[in-house]
Amino acid sequence: MSDFFWLIPLIPGVGALINGLFGKRLPKPVIHGVAIGAVALSFLIALGCFFGPFLSGGGETVLEKTLFTWIPGMSAAQADGTMADFTALWQYRLDALSMVMVLVVTGIGLLIHIYSMGYMSHDPGYWRFFTYLNLFTFFMLNLVLGANFLMMFIGWEGVGLCSYLLIGFWFERDSAANAGKKAFIVNRIGDAGFILAIFLIFYTFGTVDFYEVMAGVSAQFDSPEAGWGVLTAIGLLLFVGATGKSAQIPLYVWLPDAMEGPTPVSALIHAATMVTAGVYMVARSAVLFEHAPNAMLVVAIVGVSTAVFAASIGLFQNDIKKVLAYSTVSQLGYMFLGLGMGAYAAAIFHLMTHAFFKACLFLGSGSVIHTMEHAEHASGGHRDYTEMQDMRNMGGLLKHMPKTGWTFIIATTALAGIPLTAGFFSKDEILWSATHGGHVTLFWIVGVIAAGMTAFYMTRQVILTFFGEFRGGEKMASHLHESPSSMTIPLMVLAVGSIVAGYVGLPFGASLIGPFLAPALNAGMPIEAEAHHASVAVELMFMGASVLVGLCAIFLAYRMYWGKPEGDKAVSEGWPGVYRTLYNKYFVDEIYGATVVDGTLGGASALNAFDAEVVDGAVNGAAKLTLGVSDLSNLADASLVDGLVNAVWKVLAGVSNGLRHLQTGVLQNYALMMMVGIGALIGFFYYYLWT
Amino acid sequence: MIEYVGVLMFLAAGALLAAAATTVSGLVAPHNPTREKLMPYECGENPVGSPWGVQFNIRFYVFVLVFLIFDVEAVMLVPWAVVLKELGTPALIAGFIFIGMLVLGLADVWRKGDLEWVREEERAALKTAPKNAKAA
Amino acid sequence: MERLDTISSLQYFVPEIVLVFTLMAVLVCDLVSKNRAPRERRLLIVIPSLIGLVVALSYSLQGSEAVSAGLFHNMVAFDGFGQMLRVIFIVTSIFVLLFTLHSNELRLVHHGELLVLLLTVTVALIWMANSINLLMIYLALETVSVASYVMVGYLKTDRLSNEASLKYILFGAVSTGTMLFGLSLLYGLTGSLDLFEIRSALSSQEVVASSGPALMVILVLVLAGIGFKMATVPFHFWCPDVYTGAPTPVTAFLSVGPKVAGFAVLIRFFYGGLASPSEDGASWAMVGSVDWQTMLMGISVITMTLGNVGALLQTNMKRLLAYSSIAHAGYIMMGAVVLSGEGIQAMLAYMIIYLFMNLGAFLVVIVVHNDVGSFDIKDYAGIWRRAPLLTIGMGILLFSLMGIPPFAGFLAKWYIFSVVIDAGLGWFAVIGGLNSAIGAFYYLKILKTMFIDGSDTPEPSTPLALQPLYAGLLLVLIVPNIIGLLLWGYLDRVTEFSQKLLDAM
Repeated sequence: MSDFFWLIPLIPGVGALINGLFGKRLPKPVIHGVAIGAVALSFLIALGCFFGPFLSGGGETVLEKTLFTWIPGMSAAQADGTMADFTALWQYRLDALSMVMVLVVTGIGLLIHIYSMGYMSHDPGYWRFFTYLNLFTFFMLNLVLGANFLMMFIGWEGVGLCSYLLIGFWFERDSAANAGKKAFIVNRIGDAGFILAIFLIFYTFGTVDFYEVMAGVSAQFDSPEAGWGVLTAIGLLLFVGATGKSAQIPLYVWLPDAMEGPTPVSALIHAATMVTAGVYMVARSAVLFEHAPNAMLVVAIVGVSTAVFAASIGLFQNDIKKVLAYSTVSQLGYMFLGLGMGAYAAAIFHLMTHAFFKACLFLGSGSVIHTMEHAEHASGGHRDYTEMQDMRNMGGLLKHMPKTGWTFIIATTALAGIPLTAGFFSKDEILWSATHGGHVTLFWIVGVIAAGMTAFYMTRQVILTFFGEFRGGEKMASHLHESPSSMTIPLMVLAVGSIVAGYVGLPFGASLIGPFLAPALNAGMPIEAEAHHASVAVELMFMGASVLVGLCAIFLAYRMYWGKPEGDKAVSEGWPGVYRTLYNKYFVDEIYGATVVDGTLGGASALNAFDAEVVDGAVNGAAKLTLGVSDLSNLADASLVDGLVNAVWKVLAGVSNGLRHLQTGVLQNYALMMMVGIGALIGFFYYYLWT
Repeated sequence: MIEYVGVLMFLAAGALLAAAATTVSGLVAPHNPTREKLMPYECGENPVGSPWGVQFNIRFYVFVLVFLIFDVEAVMLVPWAVVLKELGTPALIAGFIFIGMLVLGLADVWRKGDLEWVREEERAALKTAPKNAKAA
Repeated sequence: MERLDTISSLQYFVPEIVLVFTLMAVLVCDLVSKNRAPRERRLLIVIPSLIGLVVALSYSLQGSEAVSAGLFHNMVAFDGFGQMLRVIFIVTSIFVLLFTLHSNELRLVHHGELLVLLLTVTVALIWMANSINLLMIYLALETVSVASYVMVGYLKTDRLSNEASLKYILFGAVSTGTMLFGLSLLYGLTGSLDLFEIRSALSSQEVVASSGPALMVILVLVLAGIGFKMATVPFHFWCPDVYTGAPTPVTAFLSVGPKVAGFAVLIRFFYGGLASPSEDGASWAMVGSVDWQTMLMGISVITMTLGNVGALLQTNMKRLLAYSSIAHAGYIMMGAVVLSGEGIQAMLAYMIIYLFMNLGAFLVVIVVHNDVGSFDIKDYAGIWRRAPLLTIGMGILLFSLMGIPPFAGFLAKWYIFSVVIDAGLGWFAVIGGLNSAIGAFYYLKILKTMFIDGSDTPEPSTPLALQPLYAGLLLVLIVPNIIGLLLWGYLDRVTEFSQKLLDAM
């Protein structure tokens, strides 16, 4: 099985090809059969790889397969003045880090594919949707399996494209089309940083292969770079790419808007997989970042800021998906905090658990929205889809859809960090790592505040959605029902995962995932002894403090919202300024609009004006100069010209009228006769003259 | 003959590529024909008559001829530019004489109004035409 | 033979350069004078054109016998033959330019482009007549053709003119396309575009042995393009229609310029590429396996016969002169058949005389059309009473065209027939003489109409309007026809010098 690991990314690609070319004409069962089958097959192979070589060989296992030479040797200049052959192989490499990512992508991807079967069942773009999903899976797997930066970049751009296509899936909505464009454009900024980083990497190390680059880092730099050197530059440029893809400050603005896409997309791309590509990338370059402490500091600061910033925005949002979107941004911030603190394994661990519970939450919210919209249709209402996603119109849904409700609550506990759930273990790992280094208190405190906010808004969400009385109107209430099993079964699987997934990373040095990932994070190089050993008591103390904060937040939310759906009033009336700022997301979109967008447009129109006035002027001037030769007297004597033309016309029109019926058809005869003449001449020659 | 196999392969590959492009777009593209979409595209002109005897506006020919002149100019100037350094000053002068003649040609068509889609005289004629002509 | 590079070629290229700059200057003059009064504007373009042509002519007349060179790396020949032709073309252009000035047909159209085209054709004709490279031959031939197409269709609102132009274009495209095919085959056969190299390739025994049928086809195909310009059978079909439809000055030009250039190409191509000269350069022997001499002879006989017979029943003056010019092409070709320097000399003499008599005849057509407004021969009735001098002049021109002594036309025919007889082709000369007799019928028919018809109608005879310019031109054109015999010696000397063909030896 493991010999065929390179088929993992290719199978969904084939699925996308089939559905893309023929899907329009295929029946729905065939479409989702192909799409789900492809992902399932990939997942099976991934499981085979995991339970085969990886379980027996541990974290050191590396599988490699070169399909072909993508870019053959191309001479290019190096930093040290020599020339190197720039070569890029189309090579897949499966190591421990990739293994985890592949399992997440194919496993969660499979569940979401199944879920989509129900969620999208009435959409006319069914085939298109599954094509895009498979295509996304293909690119995402390329991203995590590629053995070099260039392969990763292909996947990186590919998932960006799919994300754009899926956000704008309902392109007939202006808001969806605009959100797609916004995502794409914001991502371009990050991509520019990424590709510059690749240039710089090749320029410095003469290769783009991950392992070779990391070996080069260790060989060329024996100690961490003190100031702001080339490694820091590479690290920061890579991180620019990561802020785009993983929605960190300042490029996070596209992710909340991306909720315009279908909910399975939000779950798969904008919660579980694609947005974590930045985390994966930084983890992949762990050796490099280890040698660039300043870059790591930037990563940590941006991460923790994003975590608290996004969490605070999430506090008072009313759209069920928007809350989850800001929560995702916030959780990604946690992961970067972990990366910045050097706890790469913890970040990947949180990535994994987050994938479970956030996917579960998104799919649950999708299930709720699905039900809401069906009920609205059934009761004859025509309210906008934004109304259907508004938590103020929900309430008491637990008794109508218990499966969705309970799985949602389980995932919420995980996200809120209730002890013994998956989220508790992984978040704790990161917060624990935040106590290391020289910034102990600040990072830890901010992180814990963000965790508290998370617990608060999730509790608020659960109460507003599932408890109390239904606020959507009498007519709708009778039509509320549980979603089909194709949707609830994935929810249940994910809910189980939200608890169980945490037990691979137990605290106090009992973690399985940490040692498993270590060789891959060290790029296959020997691992130095672990430097940091803290006492269990200290760790327990920090853990207890953060759990306490979380529980307090939950209690606060309970007091504010239980039985009082309008609980926001306590804040909006008490501190109206604070509420307005948070509710309006710190006015960031408005600020960007006024500065970046208007600035760009203004610059564009200024350039345009320059082009029109100066350049065109110069061109026209040159042209006029040329004409000037012929334009010595420029008084147009129109009447004279007209008179002349008309006179010619009158005189000659009479003549030509009489000749109109003359036919020109004889011309063909002329040509024919000429050809006959040529033939005759040749014949003449042939019989009499050729000697 | 064997040296022409390459040409043959080029032909085959070209045909295949073109066929693939149209086939794929046929498979993928949505198909919602409307009257406007089914009309052949002719630079914004509404086609008249059957597609077997499409009548083009005579003005196109003037533009084509002018275009041709400057197309040929480019064709002539590229090899000239390539060997200019070897040939030296006389070639430079010759080249500029050549360009000068073409500029003169451009000035001629410009001055004669042949670059206008609707010429001055015709525009004047249109203005004097009855207003309701367009409505009819 | 000297083979010159681009820079050193320029000194032998002055008339052409003068003409090129003249035509650009005329174009500019035409553009800047767009808003001036028509008369003023016409002067602004005619005067530079004339100046340019006269300057070019004065340069061309300073012939240099000594020099014989292949200009521009053997693209264009410079020799006695070419210098003579250059003079012929420029003189023709000067006449035609003056023809256009008072022609009623062109009264209402602007002359600017016509003159530019005329100058363009003139330059191209010179190139065409002097090309010794297949590519250059074709290029010059096409330049002549394309510009002439436009000149033929210059009366934009006249359907006849348009029709003529279209026929000319299509027929020309077929002919030159055929020729190009032949040229490319020739290149494939010999591996060279240079006529002299082609000759040496064709001289080798293995080529002679293997290329017979191919060469045969090539020659016929190439002849299509040359024959189109010369208007010889079977490539003459365009001629009557185009001559009828084109503005008469243009017709006059076509009947002389391209025809002469066509013969020049014939000589250059066949004598340069398919025959090798004797030691003294006075005669040629065919190279290769194909007897093209007999072919040319056959074409010549058919052409003159068909032209003369076709002219007999024509009622339109231009159409009649078109057939007449076809017949004359047949006569001129007789000189090309004999493969000798004397033959070339005779051809040149014929063409010079033909220039005067044919242009004169067309000028009379223009003058009559200006007054009567018709090209129908029946409308020439009674001209005698209205313009006796003009009628006498026309008589002289027609007698000259017939070849009646003592007029210059006789000299031309006599010259060419004697060369043919000298070459031992007596029967050929006899056929030429018979054809002249046929030709006499239709020329005399015109004279009869002008002198006799309509003389019994009592209508008041107003003098025919004759512009002073045209009167002067007629005089210039007619006088050489009268005193032709006196000029014999001069003509002989000039053509003696001009029979010198550039050759590789």
